[in-house]
Amino acid sequence: MLRFSPTAWAKLLFLRDYGETEVGGFAITASEDLLFVRDLKLVRQVCSWAHVAFEDESVADLFDEQVDAGLRPEQFGRIWMHTHPGNCPLPSQTDEQTFARVFGQSEWAVMFILARGGKSYARLQMNTGQGASLRIPVEIDYSQSFTGCDHESWESEYLTHVQSHNSKTLFNNQDEDAIDFLENEFRFDLWDETDDFLSQTQRQEERNDHDD
Amino acid sequence: MQVLLINNDGGGFADYIEVPDGASVQDVFTEKVGNRPASDYLIRVNRQPCASQQILQEGDRISITPTKIEGAG
Ligand SMILES: [Zn+2]
Repeated sequence: MLRFSPTAWAKLLFLRDYGETEVGGFAITASEDLLFVRDLKLVRQVCSWAHVAFEDESVADLFDEQVDAGLRPEQFGRIWMHTHPGNCPLPSQTDEQTFARVFGQSEWAVMFILARGGKSYARLQMNTGQGASLRIPVEIDYSQSFTGCDHESWESEYLTHVQSHNSKTLFNNQDEDAIDFLENEFRFDLWDETDDFLSQTQRQEERNDHDD
Repeated sequence: MQVLLINNDGGGFADYIEVPDGASVQDVFTEKVGNRPASDYLIRVNRQPCASQQILQEGDRISITPTKIEGAG
């Protein structure tokens, strides 16, 4: 099972909904549980509404920073995350090609996709021995304390790492109506969903307190 | 001599390794990554781009990190 701390999940939703493009990054996991996501980090990337490409130098910078912080590569380089527009979190052919080429040499890796509509997809790939590939459930672990939202630093991280392709360039100015449709179709209200999540977290924490 | 190697392949690695004096970046890449295409990796020494024939010095940090990570919806 892929577990998220409530704070990591809140950050993921914030980053997903901050702009109108896809966004991606790496999960940062606990040393004692490599499938427990306690944070996520963006790298510099160029994104459009349905595509995300990381800058190679920035990936290398992330590895340097995390090693300097005392983490092992399996804590920050194995869970590749990105978002999808609409409501389909299933991997595209591009996703599969990247996952096989980039993460196929590691002993294991996870591809995690979160769609704007809320559905998610996580697949664990084991590359040792016979190899194995399995869908794994995704859970927010409400037993972990919610350390709150840090919108200011999340926003700063987003703004310094995500470069948006102009959607009009993407579509080559051929069909302005189609662009308007897509932009409206994939526009979601950031605060509504984050607020929903926060009140859900609060309710769960109240239940936990009650149980205690 | 020892150099710090950072590499995500296999079990993942971020530790000092022993290399012979005069070892080049290419030598380490070949030993650790094998015959995978070099274009699938960004290889840096002390956080800087490097030539494959660059000779490593004691204490250098060599990182071998993935390239062309892209997703689509
Ligand atoms: Zn995708």
